[in-house]
Order: sequence, then C-alpha cells, then structure tokens
Amino acid sequence: MPIRRVALVWLLGLLAPSFAWADNPLVVEAALDREVAAPLLDAFEAAHPHIQLTFRDRSTLEVDARVANEDNPPDVVISSAMPWQMARVNEGYAQRLDSPAAQAWPEWAKWRDEVFGFTFEPIVMAYRLDLSRHMLPPKTHADLHTLLTQHRETLRGKVTTYSPLRSGVGYSLFQQDARYTTRFWDLVTAMGATDTHLEANTRAMLEGLSEGRYWLGYNLLGSYAMVWAQSHPEVFVQVPQDYSLVMMRMAFIHRDAPHPAAARAFLDFLLGREGQRVIAGETPLFSVRPDVVGPYTAQRLRDQVGERLYPIPLNASLLAFVDPSRRTAFMDRWQREFHRLAHPEPAQGAAAIESRIDKRSQR
Amino acid sequence: MRLLVIEDDPLIARSLEQALTPLGNTVDVFTHHAQAREALQSGQFDLVLLDLGLPDGNGLTLLAELRQRGDTTPVLILTARDGIDDRVEGLDLGADDYLAKPFSLAELEARVRALLRRSQQRVDNRLTFGPLAFDAASGVATLDEQVLDLPRRELRLLEGLLLHAGSITPRETLENRLFGFGDVGSNALEVYISRLRKRLDGSGLRIRTFRGLGYRLEEASP
Amino acid sequence: MIEVDGTLKSRLAFWLLATVSVLGVLLLVEAYFSSQRAAERAYDSQLEAAALTIAEAIRWEGGQPVVEIPSAALQILATRHQERVFYAVLDAKGQTVSGNLDIGIPPEWRRRVSSQPTWLNDTYHGTQWRLYGRELDSAGWETQDPVQIWVGHTMSGRDALTEMLFEQAVTRFVIMVLLAGILMLLAMRVALAPIRRLRQQLRRRDADDMRPLDARVPEEMREMAETLDSLFMRQRDGREALLRFTADASHQLKTPLAGLQTTSELALQSDSPDAWRQALTEVHGSAGRTSRLASQLLSLARLRHAVEASATARIDAMALLHETTFDWAQRDVSQAHDIGLASLPASPQYIQGEAWALRELLGNLIDNALRYTPPGSVITLGAVCHAQTLELYIEDDGPGVPPETLAHLHRPFERGGRQDTEGSGLGLAIVDSIVRRHEARMQVESAQKNGLKIRLFFPYLTQHEEK
Repeated sequence: MPIRRVALVWLLGLLAPSFAWADNPLVVEAALDREVAAPLLDAFEAAHPHIQLTFRDRSTLEVDARVANEDNPPDVVISSAMPWQMARVNEGYAQRLDSPAAQAWPEWAKWRDEVFGFTFEPIVMAYRLDLSRHMLPPKTHADLHTLLTQHRETLRGKVTTYSPLRSGVGYSLFQQDARYTTRFWDLVTAMGATDTHLEANTRAMLEGLSEGRYWLGYNLLGSYAMVWAQSHPEVFVQVPQDYSLVMMRMAFIHRDAPHPAAARAFLDFLLGREGQRVIAGETPLFSVRPDVVGPYTAQRLRDQVGERLYPIPLNASLLAFVDPSRRTAFMDRWQREFHRLAHPEPAQGAAAIESRIDKRSQR
Repeated sequence: MRLLVIEDDPLIARSLEQALTPLGNTVDVFTHHAQAREALQSGQFDLVLLDLGLPDGNGLTLLAELRQRGDTTPVLILTARDGIDDRVEGLDLGADDYLAKPFSLAELEARVRALLRRSQQRVDNRLTFGPLAFDAASGVATLDEQVLDLPRRELRLLEGLLLHAGSITPRETLENRLFGFGDVGSNALEVYISRLRKRLDGSGLRIRTFRGLGYRLEEASP
Repeated sequence: MIEVDGTLKSRLAFWLLATVSVLGVLLLVEAYFSSQRAAERAYDSQLEAAALTIAEAIRWEGGQPVVEIPSAALQILATRHQERVFYAVLDAKGQTVSGNLDIGIPPEWRRRVSSQPTWLNDTYHGTQWRLYGRELDSAGWETQDPVQIWVGHTMSGRDALTEMLFEQAVTRFVIMVLLAGILMLLAMRVALAPIRRLRQQLRRRDADDMRPLDARVPEEMREMAETLDSLFMRQRDGREALLRFTADASHQLKTPLAGLQTTSELALQSDSPDAWRQALTEVHGSAGRTSRLASQLLSLARLRHAVEASATARIDAMALLHETTFDWAQRDVSQAHDIGLASLPASPQYIQGEAWALRELLGNLIDNALRYTPPGSVITLGAVCHAQTLELYIEDDGPGVPPETLAHLHRPFERGGRQDTEGSGLGLAIVDSIVRRHEARMQVESAQKNGLKIRLFFPYLTQHEEK
C-alpha cells in the first residue's frame, strides 16, 4: 500500500503542472461516513493535491437541506437517500457531466448524465451470535417473518430496523420492499408486534447489536455491516437469499457549484477507474464498474449471492417515493400495520414518538 | 507616238496592234507584267494600254508602281471585269481612262486619240481637232489654216469644246466658261452655240446637242 | 455566324439546380416543422398516457381527492430520454392535492383545461417544458368535483426525435436529389438523342444532297427539322433555278455561236471576197451581241445569287442619273439615237443603295431603249420628286410594247414579242432584280404618244437612316 501510494503521488507529481485548478477548494456534502470513505478521499487528495477537499459527513436529511441552500451551495452532493437525490435533480439542481468517465458509466446507474450511482451496496440482515443459540438465523424475508411470529416474546425489543420517518434511506428501502411484495406489510406488523426499535442509521443498529441490546437487524446497509462484522465477531451479516435490495449512493454536481472544475474532477475520480478501484479494494462500498477488481465489486457480489440482487432502479419512478401524499399514505399505513399487534399502551419504541409530519416533505 | 500594250490574249493583242499602228504609232506588245515593268522602266511611252487580268499579277499593282515613280504617262485600262469597283480603284490609282471588254475598235481608237491629244497638248499647248486648231498662247483659232476671227465669247466656247473634242462637254462647264458663275438664261448658251455652228458650216465639223447634258464637237458624218 | 452560348446540359442543369434549391429549402423547412410535429405527437401521447395513469390512482376519501402517484406514471413521463418530470393534481379550487415542482398553473390555463385537454409550452427556470392538463370528472358517491391533472416534462427527447426525423428527411431528400440528378442526366441523354442523330445525319450528308430530311424527331424538334427541310427546299429551288438559268444561258449563247460557226464555215468554203466580207460583217455583229449577252448573264447571275449584300451607301440619285446618262450618251452605240436628260430637280435627292447596281440598272434601261427602238428615236431620262418616293424614268418614242406583254417584260429572255432586235432579253430581268434589291418598285407602261415608259420608284433615305 505505501509503495502504491508513493507511486501514485510520484505519478501525479509529474502530471501536476498540467492541472489548472491549483489551490482550489472543493466542498462535498455527503451522507457517507467519513470513516468508510476515507481511503477514497485520501486517494483523491493524493491525485489532486491542489484541490482542498472539504468533506462534510451529514445525515441524508441535512444533505438534502443543503442542496436548496441558495446562499452557500455545495459543489458536490452525495447521498444514499436516492428518492431525494432524484427529486433534487428533477428540480434542476444538478448540472450535466460530459466527461468520458460519465459517458462510459452504465446506463442503469445514472440519470440524465447528471446524477450517478457510484456504489453498489447490498441491503442486509445482521444478527448477533446470541440469536443463533435460540433459533436458526433467518436467510430470507420469509424466514424473518416466521421468526418474528414464532419467537415474538423472545425477540421482543431485540429487533431493530430503520425508522422510515427519520431516515430517508430507511423510508426508501421500505417503499421498495413494499413495491416488490405486499407481504412486506405482514413483516411490518410482525416487527411492530415485537416492539422493534427504529433507528436513524445503520451505525446505531450495529452498535446496538454489538452492545447486545439487539439480536437482529433488518435492512442494514451491507457496506457498513460488513466492515463492522470484520471487527466485531459477535455480529454476523446475512445477505437475504430470496432477494436483496441494492442501494446506490448518488452523487451530482450542484447546479450552482462555486468550484465546478474541482467538482468535475471529483466526480470523474469517483466514476473513474482509479476511484472505483479504491472503492473496490479499500472500502466496502462496492464498485459498480465491471472492469475493476477487488474484494468489493458488484461483480463479485453477484457471484457470491447470485442474481437475487435488486438494485433500486435509478429512474423517475423514485420520484414517487417523495410525493408528499404518497409518503403520507405510506406512513399512515406503516403506523397502522406497525401498531396492529403492538401493545395498546403508549409504545416505548421510537415509532410512537415520531411526529407524523416530516418537514422535508413540505416544499 | 509610242504605245505600250500589255495584254495576254493574243487575238486581242494582235487586233490592238493592227488597229493602232495605222494611226502613226509604234506599238510594243507585252503579255506579261514582268516584261512590261522592265520596258516601262527603260523606255519612254506616250500611252499605256493595260489589261488588268494578267497571268502573273494584277495590273493595278503595276499602275500603282508607275504612279509612285512619278511617271505621268497616260494609262488606259482594259478589262473584262466590268465591276465598277475595279474601275473606281483604277481611276483612283491614276488611270486616265477605262474601257470594258468587249469594246469596239472604233471606240478604242477614239479614246486613244483623245488621250494622245491630251498628252500632246501638254507638250505644245495647241488644241486641234480635224481642220480646227486653237493656240492657247496666242488665242488664235484657225480652220483649215485660215484664221477664224471670232468674238471673245465664241472663242472661249470653241476652246471649251476643243478641250473635250470627241467627248461631250458638259453644259455647265461651257456656261461657267462663258458667263462666269452668275445666273444666266437657259438659252443664252444656245445662242452662242448656233453662232459657232454657222462658222463651222461646211468645214466637216459640227456641234451636236445632247439634251440636258452638253455639246460635242465632232466630225460631221458623211 | 454561330456563337456558342453554353450547353443545353448546363442550361438544364442550372435550372434543375435552381429549382431543386428553392424547392429544397421549402421542403426542408416543411420537413423540419413536420418532424417537430411528429415528435410532438409522439411525446404528447406519452404525456397523455401518464396523465391517464395518474387519473386512475385518484381516490376519494371523505370528500377529498387523494392520490398515490404511481411510479409507472413518472416512468412514462420521463420517457427513454430521462426527461425531468412535473406532475400536479389540483382539486376543484385549484389547490394542489399532489405535485412535485412549483410550476404555477395560472387560472386561465385551468379554465382552458376545464373545457378540453390542453397541451402547453412553458418555461420554468430557463428550461422549456411541455405541459399537458386534463380535467377528470369524478364519479364519487359524495362529490362530483372535478380534479385537474397536470403533467409535463422537459423537451430533450422531442428535440432529439425532431433532429433525428429531420436528419432522415434530409438524407432522403439528398438521396432523392442525387437520384433525380442521375435520372435527369440519363433523360437528357435520351432527350438529346434525336438532336445527336440529326446532327450525324446532317454531317454525313453530301454537299449537294438537297433531299428532305429522313429523320424521326420528337414534336419539339419538328419546327427545327421543318425549317431545315424548307431551307433545303429553298436551296434546291435556288439550285434548280440556277441550273435552269445556266441551261437557258448556254442555250442563248449556243445559238449565236452556232450562227458564227456556220457563217464562218460557209465563208471559208467560198472563194469570193465579197462573200468573205459579208460573212465577216455578220460574224462581227454576232460576236458583239454574244459578248454583251455573256456580260448580261453574268450581271444577272451576280444579282440573283449574290449571297452577301454589298455595302449600301447614301447616294445622290440626281448625280448618278446625270453621270450615267452622260456616260452612255457618248458611247458609240448611242450615236444613232437622241439620248437626253429632262431637266432634273435642282437639289440632290438621296436614296440608299449600291452605286454599281444602280449604274447597271440605268445602263440596262438605256441599252434596252437603244436596242428596241429604231435609229433616230428620242430617249429621255428624268426624275420626279413625289411625296413618298423618288421616281426615275426612261421614255422613248419607239414602237412600244403590246399591253398584254407589259406585265412579264422583266422575265429573262423575254423580248416583248420581238425577235428582230439585237437584244438578249435579259435587260429588264436585270433591272427587275436590282429594283427589288433596293426595295423599289418598277412600273412599265406605254408612253404618251407611243413607245415605252419605265418608271422606277425609290424610297427616300429617311432622316433616321441618314444618320
């Protein structure tokens, strides 16, 4: 690694004079853990030493809010909340990228050449070693439903998943789940019945698992979970065997980017062979490019899991998820189903204290 | 008198020689330009009869050469070409008269005589026609060697007719000669003509009237 | 003088090109707009489909319309070209039930849509949008309030399709023009083939081949072929006239020559000097007539067949008349006659003409008069100024001509019914030719007492021509 790094710096040192954007700042607003993305950012800074990268790791909601901030727009916006990213692009907040890397990017992972899905992150279930002592860990969604139904009292309070209200990613995943099968609502009911804890992000779920508060997590971002599992042997990651959603982190250059050249360089790096190689080799974000080799590539994941990977389609249908009335309807149904078999007394779960109205949906 | 005939047709050439010799002339005949040119350069002639269509060149060229040398020998052009353009060109180049073939020998003789007379007059300043003579220097007219005592106007009239003897003297010419350029009565001239006619009565000469054209002093035909 | 003025091919090509260019521009403009319309129709129908899909998702809950936007509708709206999409569902009061962009729908648009579905173009944040609105009458139990559905998308797909259709149209047009050009070239070859054939036929023709053309020609060339034919016919006629004339002339020449031959032959057989003298006199007279005949024939041929009109000039007819009469008056042949000039107009009278021909004309008239009148006859020439024409006349007091032959005196070898004269019968024919060359008119009539009077009327030289 150090040798490669040195080589890279040396190579870019040679190329440096030809780079016009000397000492250019670059602001990236990202819903992407800095920890996870660190190798990628390091590689970028090494490749473009004159660009001063400011990487702000925020929640998807904050990132989305920053997009519409007219006074201080970011250069690049990265978020895993796909419908919101798509809505922003549809509103015209993105600018087109016409570089060769963008042209070569697979059609299914980009929209309008404005927004690009540059990672390929499977959505997984995670469980604690304790679970397998009591029961057979679930391999499919049906397994999970059966488990929740049969071991309702054992698992009460030990299950966790995303809060659809507080997490854009979670909401999107549930919407997508609901699109694939109506039995999803049975699962929601079952989760409600076990007083499932609703968390705002994967990290919180993983921490809960490690701490022993939770035994089972549903719809975790595989990228984080897999890294976590490597350092926390008590946590196991299961890619669902019936179907596995795949989330893509979407990046676009802001329409009013103050440093568009640097922004284009950053995106080109993300989509380029080098950036994707770092993603495949040094992050668990999984590379989309089929010509990149490494432990974390979409290709390798397909080889392991088979063809049951269902990437969330990167197209206009995502816009439906952020439709306020549709969201309201979905949330209404969620609440209904979640509380169908729950305890009548005010729930101690997070779901109960969530306000019904999400500010984001008010435009 | 010495005449030069340039004519390539032997029949015509012989006729010309035979017709002109009896008039008291020496006639040299040439059938080619080249010879004629040499002869003209070496000898002195009183008249040249020139056929335009010769085998070795155009007669007009020869004429032009002659006049360019300053030779004023009278030239009578003979040609079968009766195109008026040739005639005009020939006269322009300095020919003295022009006769188209076919011609009668009588006409030829008359023309030759007139030309020779003019040539002669240039030499001795005397006008003669048959028995009639007029000395321009002394102003004396004689008929058969007898001095004709004529009034001034009749004398001038006679001189005028003699100048063109054998040809018609245009009426205007005579009127100008007699009366100057003033306006005169139409029969004023006729009065003097008839007086002169009486003088010439029985002399073998007469004055013929050409209506509207003029008068001609001619030999009275028998 | 043949002046080559381009080729038929280039002329046709030029007009073809000009026509194609003008038509082409019109066609391409039309093609562009029709491409645009076609693209519009194609994509408008997608807007319509999306609106219908949304319409199906509208439900009524508690008297209020509720809609869960179907993803499919948005997919349809976005099209293959990944357009940015807009949708809005408005209730009866114009309040947004659901929608994604803040594209305001003005009240007048809502009114228009309430009567019929409408397509509109709109600009939103600097981008062109195509909008479609339709109203939905709900058949609910409680309310029948109408709901308006508005959908829209950006227009890159339309632009791309328009461009593609237009490119196809242009390609088709270019191919068509090329094909038309090739066909035109072929057509020209085929169409010009008759001209080529005619040219080859004319080239192969012998110089003296005056037969009519034997060629198949299209209607358009008929006139030219007929003109050629008539030219050949005129040439043939001319040649035949010439041949006839030559035959007549040689006949005319042969007759006196035969006389010469027999006379001289008889004289040679005789031993009597008197007979020789007699024969020689006849030979001399005949030779004179024959040579005069030959020169007249030459004049006539020259007049009739002169291809180039000699240069005409401004001529004082009075001077010419005087000069010619003067000339003839002193010739030997005139000596037996009384030739005179009537008093002429004092001023010069100008006509346009050829001096040599006019001299020939007057000479022939005088010569004729000399020959057809007995010695001692009075021949008078004169001129009269008329208003439009200048008349030159010649008059004699000879025996005259019978009235019935007056009209065709000018024909060659016509002697006015007389065989006793020395005339050739060509004099008046020559006069006639010259008169016609000068656009003059000849009038032959009997003189006042007896004899013949020939009057020629020449047009004056007009002021215009005088310049």
